[in-house]
Amino acid sequence: MMSVKELNPELQSNLPGVSIEAGFDTNDLVVNIGPQHPSTHGVLRLVTTLNGEVVKEMEPVIGYLHRSKEKMGESRSLFQYQPTIDRVEYLSSFYDHLVFVNCIEQIADIPVPKRVEYIRVICLELNRITSHLLWFGTFLLDLGASTPFFWCFRDREEVFTIFENLTGARMMYNYFRFGGVNNDLPAGWLEEVRAFCNHFPDRLDEYEAVATKNPILMDRTKGHGIMTKEFCLKYGVTGPALRATGEALDLRKTNPYSVYNELDFDVPTHTGCDTYARYLVRVQEMRESIKIIKQCIDKIPGGDGGALAILKKEVEAKTKEAKKNPEIVVPHWDKDWDTMGKKINLLTYKPPAGEASNFVESPRGVLGCYIITDGTPKAYRIKWRGASFSNLSALPELMKGHMYSDLMAIFGSLDVIMPEVDR
Amino acid sequence: MNEENKSPEQAPETEVIEATPAIPAGMFGALLESKGISAEHLGNDAKGTEIIRLTAEAILKAGELLKGDASSKLDMLLLVTGIDWKTHRESVYHLYSTVHYHSLIIKIVADANDTSPSLYPVWPAADWHEREAYDLMGIHYEGHPDLRRILMPTYWLGHPLRKDYKEEDPRLVWNRR
Repeated sequence: MMSVKELNPELQSNLPGVSIEAGFDTNDLVVNIGPQHPSTHGVLRLVTTLNGEVVKEMEPVIGYLHRSKEKMGESRSLFQYQPTIDRVEYLSSFYDHLVFVNCIEQIADIPVPKRVEYIRVICLELNRITSHLLWFGTFLLDLGASTPFFWCFRDREEVFTIFENLTGARMMYNYFRFGGVNNDLPAGWLEEVRAFCNHFPDRLDEYEAVATKNPILMDRTKGHGIMTKEFCLKYGVTGPALRATGEALDLRKTNPYSVYNELDFDVPTHTGCDTYARYLVRVQEMRESIKIIKQCIDKIPGGDGGALAILKKEVEAKTKEAKKNPEIVVPHWDKDWDTMGKKINLLTYKPPAGEASNFVESPRGVLGCYIITDGTPKAYRIKWRGASFSNLSALPELMKGHMYSDLMAIFGSLDVIMPEVDR
Repeated sequence: MNEENKSPEQAPETEVIEATPAIPAGMFGALLESKGISAEHLGNDAKGTEIIRLTAEAILKAGELLKGDASSKLDMLLLVTGIDWKTHRESVYHLYSTVHYHSLIIKIVADANDTSPSLYPVWPAADWHEREAYDLMGIHYEGHPDLRRILMPTYWLGHPLRKDYKEEDPRLVWNRR
């Protein structure tokens, strides 16, 4: 039998009064954590072999949420498939749409107007905030703090209302289109976003005042779940978990897509490598998202939707009249103000044959989509790369030698979401 | 004092890594050819990522080279997937460099028995990804330490993402009628 000392040499100092050298005189105990466990955020089963209270081995059993997203993509047209991809990762579903839409845009060479790119970035960054807020609330809930959970949901509701005003849906948006977005911004929408951006940092200060320097949180997170850069590369771990090792890998900065190269923001990193570092990186990322959204509101071509809609109607009417009467002056309309780069009839749309792969920085790491088309309305092959899939694969080695009670703190810090793992 | 002494030591190290120039886009195939490994250049995908096809014999050697070479440094495996081309199956590996921030797609055709060498020895991240490709596409990865089903239940028959897949499991109620 392995002694606890062998499993974790550093453990001795944490357990005063327990003679670790002698080992515990018990047999290994196999515990099934999940599939229905409040802290696994979905349906995850962890077959854990415990030696006393120390995790000796762990095997994640996944697939409980497998909804055959890839097979669905091959068996229905892109138009029919599009509403279902929100469910690949339902906490940040704008990102799923972005990779999917980007792949088809690149295969079919569809231009994307500037205004659309800015609308998309605002949506994406707001979505990052809602996703991180849910993580913040549930992570602290796992550690025993229940109040921040309700605070975070209050703020999430505000953002969801903003999304609802734009897309009509609170979580499953289905808003991005090939080369555009479904509808232009409603009047006053940007002001709603700005109001949220103005008061949200203060709220975040409030949450941080409660949590960040909290001795219980620090005790349970500092020095636990150490992931070095080599460890992250070994398992393909990306996102805040990788940035908490000091590696500033953020695809928005390193391989800019959309209009991220026109925006000024920092990539928060930390060198702690532990659960606490991952916490700090995520909180800082929310502040950076606010910074990005504020710039987008100022920079968006065409400005608010209300005035632009009136102008568009006038332009359309005047262009019709101008055909009959050449003396009528048509007001200026910039191509950047369009909400669709190219008119596409989605019902009969057939992308040309080709293949494209896109990777974006989702709140959980690198989210990717790999599409092969063959000239029919259906895709020949669609493959999703969920960041959580790779991040979860690192958990067994990460947990080895840790106390059982640290499991949910460490697992929570990876921010794994099961629908993205199983797809 | 210690901190002051450390910082100048660390600075040149990082500079050395950055000083190695990244390989120009579309030159991964040429890099492998120059080291005596035959690689078929398949052009670029729609985003501009280079695609190369490697043979099963050369893949492990090429993998070590692409991962270790200072100008390519493809140290992160992003995704592994299988494609069913009806006549044969193909594995696709997406690689990314956390040093030079460039990426590469490698394709390997599986043989008639649907076996393909595992890239687990080079990129351990392939573990779960290859299990998924085996589960859904039925490509057997030789050298994989633990090739089991991952998403489908262990008792599942067939590989669902194959184009000729039909749900003929007699245990399903609708197949008994």
